[in-house]
Amino acid sequence: MIDIRKQAQLAIELLKQADAVGQCSVSSGKALEFNVDGGQFSLMRTLFSSSIGITAYKDGKKGTAATNDISDIAVKAAVEDALRSAESGVPDEAYGIAEYQPAEKFVDGELEPDRDKLFDRVEEFVKTVENEYPSIILEQVIVTHSAGKNVLLNTNGVDFESEDGGYGFDAMFSAHEGELSSSFLGCGITTNSLDTPFIELGTMRENLDAVTKQIHTQPLEGKFTGTMLLPPDSLRDFIDMLASNFACDGTLIDGTSPWRNMLGKQVADEKLTVSIAPLDSRIVSGQRYTGDGYKSENYDFIKDGVLNSFMLSRYGAKKTGFERAKNSSFSLIVKNGDKSLSDIIASIDKGIMVGRFSGGNPGTNGDFSGVAKNSFIIENGAVGSSLSETMISGNLAEMFRNVTAISAETVCDGSSCLPWLAVKGITVSGK
Amino acid sequence: MLNDHIGSKIKGSSLHTEIRAQVNTNRSVGLLCGNLVRNSRSRSEGVCARVYKNGVYGFSASGEYSPDAVAQVLAAAHDNAVFMDKRASKGEKAFPAALEGSVVSAKEINDAEQRAYIEFARELDDYIAKKCPALVSRSISVRDEAIEKLLRVSDGCDSHGLLPRSFVYISMTANTPDGTPVDLFEPIGGYGDFTCNFSDPALLFGKVDALYEQIMQKREGIYADAGLRDVVMGPDLAGILAHEAVGHTVEADLVLGGSVAAHSLGKQVASELVTMIDYAHTALGKPVPLPVYVDDEGTKAEDAVLIKDGILTGYMNSRETAEHFGMKPQGNARGYGYSDEPLIRMRNTAILPGTSKLADMISAVDDGYYLTATNNGQADTTGEFMFGVCMGYEIKKGKLGKAILDTTISGVAFDMLKTVDMLSDDMVWACNGTCGKKQPMPVGMGGPAIKCKVMMGGR
Repeated sequence: MIDIRKQAQLAIELLKQADAVGQCSVSSGKALEFNVDGGQFSLMRTLFSSSIGITAYKDGKKGTAATNDISDIAVKAAVEDALRSAESGVPDEAYGIAEYQPAEKFVDGELEPDRDKLFDRVEEFVKTVENEYPSIILEQVIVTHSAGKNVLLNTNGVDFESEDGGYGFDAMFSAHEGELSSSFLGCGITTNSLDTPFIELGTMRENLDAVTKQIHTQPLEGKFTGTMLLPPDSLRDFIDMLASNFACDGTLIDGTSPWRNMLGKQVADEKLTVSIAPLDSRIVSGQRYTGDGYKSENYDFIKDGVLNSFMLSRYGAKKTGFERAKNSSFSLIVKNGDKSLSDIIASIDKGIMVGRFSGGNPGTNGDFSGVAKNSFIIENGAVGSSLSETMISGNLAEMFRNVTAISAETVCDGSSCLPWLAVKGITVSGK
Repeated sequence: MLNDHIGSKIKGSSLHTEIRAQVNTNRSVGLLCGNLVRNSRSRSEGVCARVYKNGVYGFSASGEYSPDAVAQVLAAAHDNAVFMDKRASKGEKAFPAALEGSVVSAKEINDAEQRAYIEFARELDDYIAKKCPALVSRSISVRDEAIEKLLRVSDGCDSHGLLPRSFVYISMTANTPDGTPVDLFEPIGGYGDFTCNFSDPALLFGKVDALYEQIMQKREGIYADAGLRDVVMGPDLAGILAHEAVGHTVEADLVLGGSVAAHSLGKQVASELVTMIDYAHTALGKPVPLPVYVDDEGTKAEDAVLIKDGILTGYMNSRETAEHFGMKPQGNARGYGYSDEPLIRMRNTAILPGTSKLADMISAVDDGYYLTATNNGQADTTGEFMFGVCMGYEIKKGKLGKAILDTTISGVAFDMLKTVDMLSDDMVWACNGTCGKKQPMPVGMGGPAIKCKVMMGGR
């Protein structure tokens, strides 16, 4: 077994010898995976992996190289590759590495898999679905245990080490009756423990229940503007689009983000608080340090509707003059509201509950349109029939200013903790 | 090129066994408004083994590729197959005999220095900066990737293949009169390494000019009118229609997983004008963009005819699903990286051209849209599909009108394809796409312009 710390130290030494500054991240790990396809076990997979990523800066220019061979020869070749790339690069004052921070080691999660218990839990899930949800076909279930070590060093003396492991469970399914079929829906869970059946975690049962009601659908006639109710999994996708479009490196560096002048200002309804919190106790094996060499801290992205932080890397921060984000994860926590889900539904005159959004990449301006998958009409305060061939459109910035309610209930799946959220002013169109 | 540490030790094994050594290389450069935001080289090499026993598979992979690593993954894959057989045996019999042989298509390619990518990108970026004054943002991305595989199977065809592709992506952002940003991008490139495809940045200046003209039209664009509309889809959309709307529903593993195509074999699913084929390596007498000669299960690749004159005629299969459906495996099982097991994947999926002229197709639309570019797409088990449309024009009384802003189109594949009433007599291929299905995979797609009815998003 190659010592990953020694290989990281070798890379840093080689960078220093070349009068370069830089960073090196070396990992090794193993994974165990069970696959179920079409409701039947199909594959058991074991992986042995390693990788090294080197970033070199010389004369104000940057180059990176990565390989999965961490032998001495490969490390030397990767350093040379990164240095050659840097030599060919373009100088940029915003380049650079993390400043010195005290060395730390983090150990987290379940480092060794319980293979037989994991198999038993998957088998139990398949049988429970078969018995309790007979109309469901499990298109694919992927269950993994991953464990690994990482060492990140840089030429400023940054020295972080982590060792973690845990279980991941992802299922994709649809419901069927004769030739009729629902849309597929998927959901996932991250956990450190096999004490609870997978079906009782995250949104698994809610999604299985919803899909069984989506076999018989009605097309929507015409078009209306109304309320969109987003369940937790769907809310995560919309916040992801919002962040990517308005708050990340790309559109802030080129100055096209509509939020470039909005830091500290109201960008959303005051009910909305969105935190990125990998250290929250509800997050399983959250990020402990960033890829660019900073110790991770929790932060509020939006607090009471006010834009509190962008999601910038070190480079993006130097380039724009804003502060870098305090971590680079997407461990998403949205603060719950004070209304029950049933009260929120009861307050909606006309709207749509969207279980999954299938749409084109939103434009830089935040305009989005797409198909409302796994959706239900909401009329006169009650959830009605499941919909097919229904599209929704709106604007991401307007949408989060138009939040009408956030549920008191939340769902945590190990990587996020989210409520249901209702917004007004969404265009819903059918045939 | 990969050394052979595998040999022929698994030939004739009692259990179907595959060993695959593989290396994926990627070179990438990104310029955003002249800033070098990406300058990277990566290489991922390793070996995997897969063993089939009574209907279940054991698989193992290692990032080390050596004789010892080959033995390690072979033993682990065998142990995993035994475990699965003990706990979840399906009692399936062994695969039928496959065509034996060996196909070598790998050849040396030129691995350019990073400087070559950077200089190319900077020259192109300088041209855009000078010639496109109304842009508020621009980016150039240069990517070169290659996948080399050395495959040995216990029963079937051995192979040594290499799949190189390289692209330059040009993105532009301009503001509408009210200051709202709109974007447009174009991928240029295809099969072959960077030095083979891109000898001189000046050869792309014409494409830059055309893209700039389009984004100037788009910034004056209007929102599409939402609802069911008559449209002419350009060839870029036909390719993604073939891939997303139909292709995924007829992958046999998704058929077993509940796809609508389970009930449609032998039925009319499209207009009689529509024939759709997943090509292996040659189409209409020419090489396809991403040729596959042998898949990762050792099946010699041949074309899979999916729709013939509007009738659904077949699925894409692995050896296992082919046996299940009583079909012939045609070489669709592929893994992306050394640590990925083969899955059923499309190769070069296309709707065949018809006999109409594009101008006549546009003239035949009284009130609708001509859609020319897409930026993503998704499919569903129900056959309901969605594509993002990032460039298009309204058609009024048979004439092209104003450009439209970003929108999304959707439909149910086997309903929408029945509305196809004209296909253009030309065909365009693209292979910049990377399909997502547990693993990524480079795919080719193509088709003619298509006149049909689809649902449009908008306002």
